[in-house]
Amino acid sequence: MRFVTSLFVGLSAAVLLTSCGAGGEDQGTEYAPNMYHSVAYEPYTQIVDEDAGRWVTSIDYPDGHAEYFNSNKFNPNRMNMRESAPNTVSRNKNGWLPYRLGKDSLAYASAHMKNPLDSTAEIVASGKALYEMYCDHCHGPKGAGDGKVAAGVKIDGVQKGNYNGVPDYKSDALKNISEGHIFHVITHGKGLMWAHGSQISPEDRWKIAKYVKTLQK
Amino acid sequence: MSSDSRFVPLVLKTDTEPNMIKHFTSSACKFFTLVLVFALISFTNYAQEISKDPAAISAGQALFNANCKACHRVHQKLVGPALAGVYDRTPSIDWIKSFVKNSSAVIASGEPYAVKLYNDYNKTQMTAFSAFKDEEIMNILAYVKAETDKGPEPTTNAGPTPPTGTTPQDGLPSSYLNVILIGMVVILILLLVVLGFLVSALKRFLDQKTLSEEEADVVNPTVTTGSIFKSRGFVFVVVFVTAALGFKAVINGLYSVGVQQGYAPKQPIAFSHKIHAGQYEIDCKYCHVGVMKGKSATIPSVNICMNCHNQIKSGTLTGDTEIGKIVKAYETNKPIEWVRIHNLPDLAYFNHSQHVNVAGVECQTCHGPIETMDVVRQHSLLTMGWCIDCHRKTDVNTKGNAYYDNLVEIHNQSKKTPMKVEDIGGLECSKCHY
Repeated sequence: MRFVTSLFVGLSAAVLLTSCGAGGEDQGTEYAPNMYHSVAYEPYTQIVDEDAGRWVTSIDYPDGHAEYFNSNKFNPNRMNMRESAPNTVSRNKNGWLPYRLGKDSLAYASAHMKNPLDSTAEIVASGKALYEMYCDHCHGPKGAGDGKVAAGVKIDGVQKGNYNGVPDYKSDALKNISEGHIFHVITHGKGLMWAHGSQISPEDRWKIAKYVKTLQK
Repeated sequence: MSSDSRFVPLVLKTDTEPNMIKHFTSSACKFFTLVLVFALISFTNYAQEISKDPAAISAGQALFNANCKACHRVHQKLVGPALAGVYDRTPSIDWIKSFVKNSSAVIASGEPYAVKLYNDYNKTQMTAFSAFKDEEIMNILAYVKAETDKGPEPTTNAGPTPPTGTTPQDGLPSSYLNVILIGMVVILILLLVVLGFLVSALKRFLDQKTLSEEEADVVNPTVTTGSIFKSRGFVFVVVFVTAALGFKAVINGLYSVGVQQGYAPKQPIAFSHKIHAGQYEIDCKYCHVGVMKGKSATIPSVNICMNCHNQIKSGTLTGDTEIGKIVKAYETNKPIEWVRIHNLPDLAYFNHSQHVNVAGVECQTCHGPIETMDVVRQHSLLTMGWCIDCHRKTDVNTKGNAYYDNLVEIHNQSKKTPMKVEDIGGLECSKCHY
């Protein structure tokens, strides 16, 4: 009989343990949770529930929050990330200051902005790689304005929405634009294209400008 | 006729003010030419018919697609106005020609229609297409007229498209198979019950008779089901199977502690990677911009969503409810609280840029077929064993990277196999735990 009892205990332990795995909404059981959760503020692992992890809390935090809570109460929306302080600028590793021409200075930028990079094969090649990351899906692989987002796609015979207003790089209006023009338009957008300055660093924008000029030949 | 003649009125206006004979004569001359040109224009206007020649229309279509499509559609307002019927509503065909060739000059001339147009469209200036020849503009107009006469196409991207009905089915659907299976099981059970009744009825019948010893042995065997259940062999098999299964379940359960493989939480916005990365083939890095540069691949900020969704306001699956949430977040400047799926414990360090930028690992190697997922789930184990396994098997991507030159040289002196990640410290504790 003792054997049967131990068998029963073992089986129920097994059944209990199978519920430890993750799936769907269930995150599963954590091992050593104190070591899993960051005490420091992390931008992308934010616990906003002040009572999360009360059962492992061993420190008396002055504001009474539990172990896992790591959101900044003093920031807007309790975010851990902050916007940079007003009137400050960041410099990149080349020591470049941010691009300061406003959106309406396209004519000035086209005429006066010069690409600081050389037209080496290496730079054009990395411009191509960047073009394929950031531009391809609208402007198309050859810059004809026929990317999948611009042209729309057909799935199971249903035409899906597309993004209007993507030009052909080789059109009369665009084929003679300067690299400064391209840089300015990537930074601030033009027509229906929105600004991409937040996504693409200035060096990468200049590289893309180099590659776009090769597409226009 | 030259398009410049259209802008004479402006010169005339400014020049008539100074009371000087020289200016007067020159402006009188200009006035005279202007009258002449106007006469010419009105004369030639009757001669300018928009062609219905298919060759002109197709030439115009090619020109339209290459040059105009970015801002104009025939039946839809885009950056610029819809062009349907443009030849009827504008002052004249020649006005169109001069406007296309140099719109800013027409606007500067103070021509009322052009000025109104300019103001109606938020002072957006149309690009000057000075290289266009008159007949090319006429070809484009021929195309526009042909499209106008055709009428607007049924809209394709307005509103969610209705569901396409049930998916095409190959053979029997699985629900039918289930019904058939259940039916067969029921029939089998019924058969067993009937057989049981038969056996007991027969036994009762035989019990009433006097049987010989041999016959009695057959009817009442010494080996009954009860004796089988109590036999040592049977008990051993049952205990063994149960214990083995239980052991496996325990081990599996223990291994799943701290592993979040399969975690697929519901997100505040039902964003589908299948649509964005799969069907539209938008590069992962377009949105996850940090992946080449830093530790985190970064979750796109709302302005990146809005780069497309300022225009695409209605999705195929959910209409405008889900996209509406992005627009609202953008307008109210409220962060969208996405649920993190890949929760690497704080005790381990991982850097995306080292793997994606330096090693050139594809996103799918660790994240699985993301481009087919409507709801993202954690594809890989993300355990230490899983990391180590890959570091043992993977060759270091040393091509075109001067950083590795010396390491490769030293490695090749002692070993013949290609340099793996483990050979350059990929298994050292402090690489990831510090």
